[in-house]
Amino acid sequence: MSNLNIDAEKSHTFDAIVIGSGISGGWAAKEFTEKGLKTLVLERGRDVQHITDYPTTNKYTYEFEHYGEPALAIRKENPIASRCYVFREDAMHFVVKDQEHPYVQEKPFDWIRGYQVGGKSLLWARQVQRWSDFDFEGPARDDFAVDWPIRYKDIAPWYSYVEKFAGISGNKDGLSQLPDGEFLPGYPLNAVEDYFKKVLTNKYSNRHVISARCAHISKPNQIHLDQGRGQCQNRTLCQRGCPFGGYFSSNASTLPWAAKTGNLTLRPFSVVESVIYDDKKGKVTGVRVVDTNTREVTEYYAKVIFVNAAALNTNLILLNSKSQRFPQGLGNDNGQLGKFVAFHNYSARISAEYDGLLDYTTDGRNPAGGGYLPRFRNVFKQETNFKRGYAAGFSARRMNNKDMSGVGEGLKANLLKTTLGPWSVGSHMMGETIPKESNFVNLDPGKKDAWGVPLLNISVDYDENDVLMKKDYLEQLTEMFTEAGFTNIKQNDASQAPGLDIHEMGGARMGHDPKTSILNQWNQLHACKNVFVTDGACMTSTSTQNPSLTYMALTARAVDYAVKAMKKGDLA
Amino acid sequence: MERRLVIKQILIMAGGLALLPSCLRDAGKSSVLLKNLDVSLDQEKLLAEIAETIIPKTNTPGAKELNIHLFVLKMLDDCYEPEEQQLFLKGLEALKDKTQRRYSKSFIDIAVPERQELLVGIENDKEASAELAAFYKIMKGKTIQGYLNSQYVMTNLTKWELVPGRYNGYYPVKTA
Repeated sequence: MSNLNIDAEKSHTFDAIVIGSGISGGWAAKEFTEKGLKTLVLERGRDVQHITDYPTTNKYTYEFEHYGEPALAIRKENPIASRCYVFREDAMHFVVKDQEHPYVQEKPFDWIRGYQVGGKSLLWARQVQRWSDFDFEGPARDDFAVDWPIRYKDIAPWYSYVEKFAGISGNKDGLSQLPDGEFLPGYPLNAVEDYFKKVLTNKYSNRHVISARCAHISKPNQIHLDQGRGQCQNRTLCQRGCPFGGYFSSNASTLPWAAKTGNLTLRPFSVVESVIYDDKKGKVTGVRVVDTNTREVTEYYAKVIFVNAAALNTNLILLNSKSQRFPQGLGNDNGQLGKFVAFHNYSARISAEYDGLLDYTTDGRNPAGGGYLPRFRNVFKQETNFKRGYAAGFSARRMNNKDMSGVGEGLKANLLKTTLGPWSVGSHMMGETIPKESNFVNLDPGKKDAWGVPLLNISVDYDENDVLMKKDYLEQLTEMFTEAGFTNIKQNDASQAPGLDIHEMGGARMGHDPKTSILNQWNQLHACKNVFVTDGACMTSTSTQNPSLTYMALTARAVDYAVKAMKKGDLA
Repeated sequence: MERRLVIKQILIMAGGLALLPSCLRDAGKSSVLLKNLDVSLDQEKLLAEIAETIIPKTNTPGAKELNIHLFVLKMLDDCYEPEEQQLFLKGLEALKDKTQRRYSKSFIDIAVPERQELLVGIENDKEASAELAAFYKIMKGKTIQGYLNSQYVMTNLTKWELVPGRYNGYYPVKTA
């Protein structure tokens, strides 16, 4: 009997365990397995194999039951998921349904989740920008949150490392606030995006429009072909999963790469109930897993644990990992775990028309989406009545006009006769929000999910700084649009709840001081050295950049550190 | 053409709508399987003629042949609020009444120019009743959507590209 137990324990023992298979978990899996560690990746949802499990990827509009539109009954059952732009018939199978995974909203929060192998990396908007020291030094300079324990020089080589593998298209723009990276050819701005760029360059000293940098293979290098990925085919149907592997996802890239090493064990349908802290050994020994099909509870063991369950779920797991040593949750000596959650303010947009450059239109589709305005407010010094700033998307397209009046042969002919209208231009804000103790998540004291895990309570809201920043965005974009001669300018204050930006961050922030932060400069729990967090939960501040690239770089860097530390015996 | 093949093609044309031969269902019921709406075969036939009036057969198929009216019903059944569905059905009855009053005939029995005149009249009538306006808006909008996104149009006429493989941001506009 005792032998059997030992065998069972052996088969449940790995060198490393990674909780989550999304964008950061996939990277942890790749790095650990490449370095020769037997690695278990736990995913709470079902498996999604690259290509095989993209059932809608080659469908035409008329092949969807309602030509893409979610049926009313589905929208009514899923008010939260329905607010997300990818929740349509072609991709809704990759989005968590409201009823299946409830949570508590102390304040309105649209929590958009992807519970499957690959997580939200199948669905993301694929925008990738490096942070600069204007971002890492932000909290210290502007007196909020805590100082980041790292600077650009610490992460720059890791940005390069992950960019080369993931495949990032972009141009070397030479902007200190948005450092250049290892780029494949950028997708060009179109005539009006380019025109707007020139208008801003002439009128302002530090406002730029650049080609949006995106995780698409505009031109493959050998390393991408080696992954079985090819050139992006400009389909812009990415949320369905890409049969060409044209954009980066865990499914197309890091997970199959990790599998090829022979060191990967991927276990879907595995909800991590908690991380196991052994009070006698004084370290974490493994994780407790509930099989979502059988409800069986199993323990898995490893020397090092990476928690990459997506920002808020990582907080949930750590908060639920209670022991004698950590009665408030793993690593939570200071009571700050779950606090200082922040996000990106995407709640304003602006649109207009332009009657110039009518000799041009576009042909094909741009997977990058168009242009990107890096943050220009308060970059080099404080200059407004609010802290920090916003980046903005900017894109233009020719409108297609159809005369849809009347009925009969005339209408039928007109429907197929498209005349080019003026350009339609649009922008959306991506504002930095300030992490605050009052924006937090915690465990609901009573309610539990189907697997006995407490429900997460979310209490996150905008503040006065967000309101002032949004006002400035609308004013500044209106001014810039006016300067460019755009007409029919329409401001749209979307008033959306936090969460819909899908950039929730923090709760287990990095910092120098164990009294005021949860993780150190290596994404390692201050209080428990063999546990690391490298997803959105680790973020000390949010800056304005889309965060995924930074998670990838932090993950590769942390695995490198963890493996070296293990070899030296420092994680024990 | 084999019957089986025809049925298969109808299924494809109707965008995967579940069609059942009417003999298997209640006599007089719509041929499309509806979850919420109670639509008679007569109403369905009328909708087919209205759709055909909006987008008629020319040297290419019209709405009736492409089963666009069934797409309209499917969308109405699954994607609209019950109040909107009722407005639509009331509007359809109002259209029948209007036709009868004006031409002393049913829609099916009046000539194409009269049908067109009637529909354009509703389109341009700013004082049309709420149900007639709602009916017309949904009927015309969904007929156009169904037509432009039908397999026939997407593959033969507009030729939508699943895999463009290119992007040009400075594409010169052809000046004819």
